[in-house]
Amino acid sequence: MNDHRSVSIVMIEDDEGHARLIEKNIRRAGILNDITHFTDGTSALDYLFNASEGPALNGPALVLLDLNLPDMSGTDILARIKSGPASLKRTPVVVLTTTDDKVEIQRCYDLGCNVYITKPVNYESFAQAIRQLGLFLSVIQVPDPEQA
Amino acid sequence: MIASRIKRFGVGEGLANRFLVTCMALGFASVIIAVVAAAWMTTRTQELSRWVSHTYEVEIAITQALNGVEQAEATRRGYLLTGQEIYRTTYVQAATKVQPALWRVHWLSRDNPEQQRNLAALRRELNDLQRVRNASVALMAAGDRPAAVRLFADETGARRMRRIRDRAGAMVTAERVLLDRRREEQAASLRAFYVTLGIAGVLLVLSALASLATVLRYTSDLGTSRDQLQSLNDSLETLVAERTEDLTRANEEIQRFAYIVSHDLRSPLVNVMGFTAELDAATSAIGELIDRAEERAPDIVTDEARFAAREDLPEAIGFIRTSTQKMDRLINAILKLSREGRRVLLRETVDVAALADGIAASLQHRLDEQGTTITVQRPMPEMTTDRLALEQILSNLIENAVKYLQPGRPGRIVVRGSAWAGRTIIEVEDNGRGISAHDHQRIFDLFRRSGQQDQPGEGIGLAHVRALAYRLGGTIDVRSEFGQGSTFRLSLPTVMNEEAR
Repeated sequence: MNDHRSVSIVMIEDDEGHARLIEKNIRRAGILNDITHFTDGTSALDYLFNASEGPALNGPALVLLDLNLPDMSGTDILARIKSGPASLKRTPVVVLTTTDDKVEIQRCYDLGCNVYITKPVNYESFAQAIRQLGLFLSVIQVPDPEQA
Repeated sequence: MIASRIKRFGVGEGLANRFLVTCMALGFASVIIAVVAAAWMTTRTQELSRWVSHTYEVEIAITQALNGVEQAEATRRGYLLTGQEIYRTTYVQAATKVQPALWRVHWLSRDNPEQQRNLAALRRELNDLQRVRNASVALMAAGDRPAAVRLFADETGARRMRRIRDRAGAMVTAERVLLDRRREEQAASLRAFYVTLGIAGVLLVLSALASLATVLRYTSDLGTSRDQLQSLNDSLETLVAERTEDLTRANEEIQRFAYIVSHDLRSPLVNVMGFTAELDAATSAIGELIDRAEERAPDIVTDEARFAAREDLPEAIGFIRTSTQKMDRLINAILKLSREGRRVLLRETVDVAALADGIAASLQHRLDEQGTTITVQRPMPEMTTDRLALEQILSNLIENAVKYLQPGRPGRIVVRGSAWAGRTIIEVEDNGRGISAHDHQRIFDLFRRSGQQDQPGEGIGLAHVRALAYRLGGTIDVRSEFGQGSTFRLSLPTVMNEEAR
């Protein structure tokens, strides 16, 4: 039941700065899992669906998703993940974005997003939010794809 | 354009009206003339007819008198010839008939001096004749037949008789002439009557036709103008609908624009603030390093390095921080406005006075500190509008009044309302520092403020108020004298339009 392979984090974030800040704060929260970073939706989807070590074919993963991407909307990616193969469908998705529009948040939850976090401009709040995410990651039970 | 058209219709209407009235008047006048003429003509014809019958009566009376004379002559001759008594009695009978007939003629022709003269002559002749006749008859009656016959033979009877006939004939002829003249007059009068009737009839028909034409033209004009008005109205409605749609689209565009811009501006700001925090953390690490280096090897620490770590870096980071924080506030303000513009408004009955009281109560602590009073005047109208939006407007206005008071003067703030013609006017009046005239419009713009900048704020409140007032279908303006106080006047529809956005 217990899988010892560590959960890999897939971060889809077009802003390099944001990505770096997120990563730093995750590390500070004591999370040492692998982080794979994509700056556009196309390559991220390609990785999620087709890569040999990607969540669709392989190990457990968690997706950190920004909604404002240059080539496609984050909600599209979310919809694709949640309508993909079973192993991918069960992958938890954390939406981490600047948009705090109620309708947008609701839509993400409707599409199957597991956690929605608004990026606060205030850095302390930001770091706090990421640390909470780290706590969340440490307790999350990632399902074993082989038992699906 | 519309006004000129209406004006043109008005003039046309006036002309048509005048023409119509003239025609009607003409028509009625001709009818009245025809009636009067007919009455007059009838009277005149009757009179003439009477005169004609009068003439006949005169003629008959003359003939009767003449008949009497002739009959008397015939019976006298019979008496003289036969001596029979029956002739004498018949003679007396005939002779007595003459005088009444003559009197009748005299009475009938009393207005005609010529006939009177003729009659007088006739009467003389007849009297002479009568005298001779009576004498002869008397002689005969006395039995002196030869004397009577002699008297008969001697008398100028035959000649006199002819004269009498001629005289009577002349009188009859005179009456005939009169008769002809009167007949002619009668015919002429009848002709005049018919001509008058004909002219009146023609006038009547003409005026009726003209009236009909005018009415028809007027009606068709009315129809045309109604159609034009209708089409104008339709096109106006279409125009309004188009404009409204354009405005709605533009408004939506602006909302979307504001939303996207504020979000996309936020994204780099996250980086600036995040990495500034990183820099800050790094600075404190470097500061510690400098501290330790000064302790252990003061010779390697230059003044420059010390200064940079302890002064320059914290100062730079401090400025970056305050600037980004301000920028964050501004972006949030735009975001708030944009979000406010997208919020769905809810109609409900709002007690404005209670709302104002609530706002005043929430500021009570501050009012007590300053010694400021807020008076909510009653009665205050009720409104059907979006409660939240109205509350935000009023609280912004009242808070501003409290915020910008004249130092050293106890604040007196009055909130009053009135309803007029479907609109509710709410005024918030203060005796504060006032706003100089050239800033009266400017203060409603985003990020613009007026007067001494001694109070915190970003210049968002009134912009927000104006945006909300517009959304509720209203307007806001200010009357203010610098140093005396300001009155903000909010005009809103008492019942918010269902389609307000």
